[in-house]
Amino acid sequence: MAKRITIDPITRIEGHLRIDVEVENNAVSNAWASCTMWRGIEKILRGRDPRDAWLFTQRFCGVCTTVHAMASVRAVEDALKLEVPLNAQYIRNLILIAHALHDHIVHFYHLSALDWVDVMQIPKADPAAASKLAETLSPWTRNSRNELKAAQDRVNAVAASGQLGIFTNGYWGHPAMRLSPEVNLLAFSHYVQALEYQRKALQVVGILGSKTPHIQNLTVGGVANAIDLDSQSALGMAQLEMIRELLSQVVRFVQQVYFVDVCAVAAMYPEWFKIGSGVRNYLAVPDLPLDSHGSAYDLPGGYIRNGDIAGAKSFQTASDPVFRQSVSEDVIHAYYQGEKPLHPWVGETEPEFTGWNADGKYSWVKGPRFNGEPMQVGPLAQVLVGYAQGHALTRKYANLAIEKVAAISKIQVTPDMLHSTLGRHAARAIRACMLAELAEKHWQLLVDNISKGDYTVHNQPVLPTHEVQGVGTHEAPRGTLSHWVVIEDEKIKNYQAVVPSTWNASPRDQAGAHGPYEASLLHTPLARPEEPLEVLRTVHSFDPCMACACHAFDPSGRKIGVVKVL
Amino acid sequence: MKTALIAGIGNVLLGDDGVGPYVIRLLESQYSFRENVEIVDLGTPALDLTHQIAGRHALIFVDSVASGDPPGTIVLFQKADMLREMPAQRVDPHSPALSECLLTAEMLGAGPEHVLLVGVVGECYEPGRELSAAVRRSVEPAMATILQELDRLGFEVEKRPFPVEPSIWWDTQRSDPKCSCPSGT
Repeated sequence: MAKRITIDPITRIEGHLRIDVEVENNAVSNAWASCTMWRGIEKILRGRDPRDAWLFTQRFCGVCTTVHAMASVRAVEDALKLEVPLNAQYIRNLILIAHALHDHIVHFYHLSALDWVDVMQIPKADPAAASKLAETLSPWTRNSRNELKAAQDRVNAVAASGQLGIFTNGYWGHPAMRLSPEVNLLAFSHYVQALEYQRKALQVVGILGSKTPHIQNLTVGGVANAIDLDSQSALGMAQLEMIRELLSQVVRFVQQVYFVDVCAVAAMYPEWFKIGSGVRNYLAVPDLPLDSHGSAYDLPGGYIRNGDIAGAKSFQTASDPVFRQSVSEDVIHAYYQGEKPLHPWVGETEPEFTGWNADGKYSWVKGPRFNGEPMQVGPLAQVLVGYAQGHALTRKYANLAIEKVAAISKIQVTPDMLHSTLGRHAARAIRACMLAELAEKHWQLLVDNISKGDYTVHNQPVLPTHEVQGVGTHEAPRGTLSHWVVIEDEKIKNYQAVVPSTWNASPRDQAGAHGPYEASLLHTPLARPEEPLEVLRTVHSFDPCMACACHAFDPSGRKIGVVKVL
Repeated sequence: MKTALIAGIGNVLLGDDGVGPYVIRLLESQYSFRENVEIVDLGTPALDLTHQIAGRHALIFVDSVASGDPPGTIVLFQKADMLREMPAQRVDPHSPALSECLLTAEMLGAGPEHVLLVGVVGECYEPGRELSAAVRRSVEPAMATILQELDRLGFEVEKRPFPVEPSIWWDTQRSDPKCSCPSGT
C-alpha cells in the first residue's frame, strides 16, 4: 500500500513549491510537483509601452530580477529587429555572468550543501587534519587550521546555546549523511566564506547596473551606462579596475573552492550518479552574444532527446526559428482555463482554481513543452548540449571534473552518469567555471573595444504601428528563460514569460508525461520515509525557484505594538 | 561608525505587497539621510538579505504582514520576535525569509543590535493593483514610525526643503477597484 508524503514546509510565505510523493517499499512510486501561488503577473503588461516592460518584469522575482529584465529587452529588440552595440552586449554579458556566479554559489552552499553536509558532526572534527586534507584538494589559501577552527567555533557556539538557530530543522544524523567530520567542517567553512564571495559577484552587478536588486541601466537597444575612461561618475577605468578585482576574487573562489567541493561531494556519494535522472530531453539556448546582431555566441545552445547525446541538435541563434516554433504551454493539469496547449504568443493566463487534485489540476505552474515533449533545462542541459557539440570550454571543465572526482575516489565518471542528481550539481559547477573564465574574457573584450574609441552604448528603438512579435531568451542560472511579446500600435498586446522553473517543475501534460522534477523522483530510495532527505536532494539539485513571490511576513511571534490607523 | 539600513520589502506588482517599496520611495523623496543611513527598496530578496543585514547597527524593515488585524493596521516587531520564527527546510531560494537571514547574520557574529519591522497589514495582493485605500492611509503613519525609530537611535534625518517627485512608477491606478484575488491571498 503506497503512503503519500507531502513536503510543503513553507507555510509562512505565500507561493512555493510543494512536492507530493507516494512511497512503496521505501522508494518513491509516484510524484507530483506543484506551485501554490498564482502567477498572473504577465497580464498587467498588456497595453503598456514595450520599452518599459523590463522594469516590470524584473519585479517578477526577487531572486532573479536581472534575468527577467534582460530577457524582456531582448524580446522587444527581437520584435523590432534592433541591433545592440558591442559595448552594450559586453556590459550586459558581464552583468549576466556576475549574476549567474552569485546564483550558483548561493545555490550550492546555502540552499543545497546541507543536504549532504551534517553540521552537527562538525564539533567532532580536528581542524588541523581538515586543513591538511584541504591542502591535497586545492590551492585555496583560506583553508588554514585557524580559519577552520573559527568556523568550528561558530558551530560550537550555536550548539552550546541549546538553540540551533539557523540550523533548526536540518536532517542531522540522518543515515544518508556520510561525510567525515573533517569534510563536513571544510564544507561548512566554505559555506561561511561563500556569503562573502557571492556578495562580491553582486557588487559587480551593482556597479554596472547602478543598483542591485533591480538593475537600472538597461534600455531597449542597449544600456544607459555613459562611458568615459577618465571620469569617476561614468563607467571609467576606476570602475573597470574595481570590477576586474572583484571578478578575479570570485573566479578564484569558484575554481578553487566551489568546483572542488562539488567534486569531493560527488566522490563521496557516488550512488547519487545513479539516482534522480528523470526526463532525458534537454534544452538550452545560445547566450553571451559576441556581435551586435546575435550571430556568434560564447555559450552554445540546442536540444537533446531521450538522452541521445550523439544526436543532439544545435541552435544557431538565441531566437532560433526551431525554438520560436516549437514551444507551447499545456494547462491540462494546471489551474488555468483552456484545453489545448498554446504557443506563448497566443498564450492565456486565465485562472481556474480547483484545489489540489492528483488526477486533475494540481499546480499553478503551466507545463511548457518543446515539440510536445517535456524538457529538462538548467546547467545539466547547458553542459550536455555543449559537450555534444564538442564545445571546447564545456569539454575543458567537464574533463577536469571527471579527473578531479577520479583523483579523490578512483571513481570513473562517464557522461552517461550525468543524467542524475549529482550530475546536475556537477554540471552547475562546470558551468560556473566556464562562466568564471568568460567573465575575464568579456571584461577584456569591453576594455579593448572602448580603447578603440567606440563609446556607443545604445541604438534608438522605433516602434512600428503594425503588429510585430518577438522572443527574448537568456540561458539563466536555472536554465532557458524566454519572454514572448506581441506589440501592436506601439503597445504590448500580449506578453508571456516561460521561465526555467516552469520547464522543470511542470505538471503532467495531455499525454500524461511527468515534468522533470516529478520524473526525477521516481524510484528514489528513502532510508527514513518520515525524513525524506533523499527527495530534497534531488529537488534541490534542480535549483528550484518558484512563484516569484509575495513576501508577506506571517508572524507567529509576539507583536510589540499595534498602531491603529483611523 | 554605526550604520542603519531602512529597507522596503515586497513585490510592487502585487497590490498591497508593494507597501514597503512605496514607503521607501516617499521617504527618499521627502527626507535626506546622512551617509551612515542607507535607504533602499529591496523588492523580494531572499538570502541576499543576509549581506545587507550583516554588520549593521540598526535595521528598520517596512513590509506587508498577515497578522490577522484589519487591513491598514501597523504592527511592530522587534529582533527577539523575529528570531522566534524558526527556519523550515529550504526548498527554494525564496524560503529564507527575514528571520532566517537574521539568524544567519547572528551565526556569523554580525547580527544587528536593533531591529524593527514596521508591518502593514495588507488587504489585497492581486497582480497589477495599486495599494488599497486602507493601506494607503497607513503610509504616513508608517513613515512617521520609521522616523521616530531613527530619532530614538540617534540617527539624524533632515526634511528636504524642496521634496523631489517620488519614483513610484508602478502605481498607475489602472486596476479595477474590486479585488478578486484568485489565489485567495
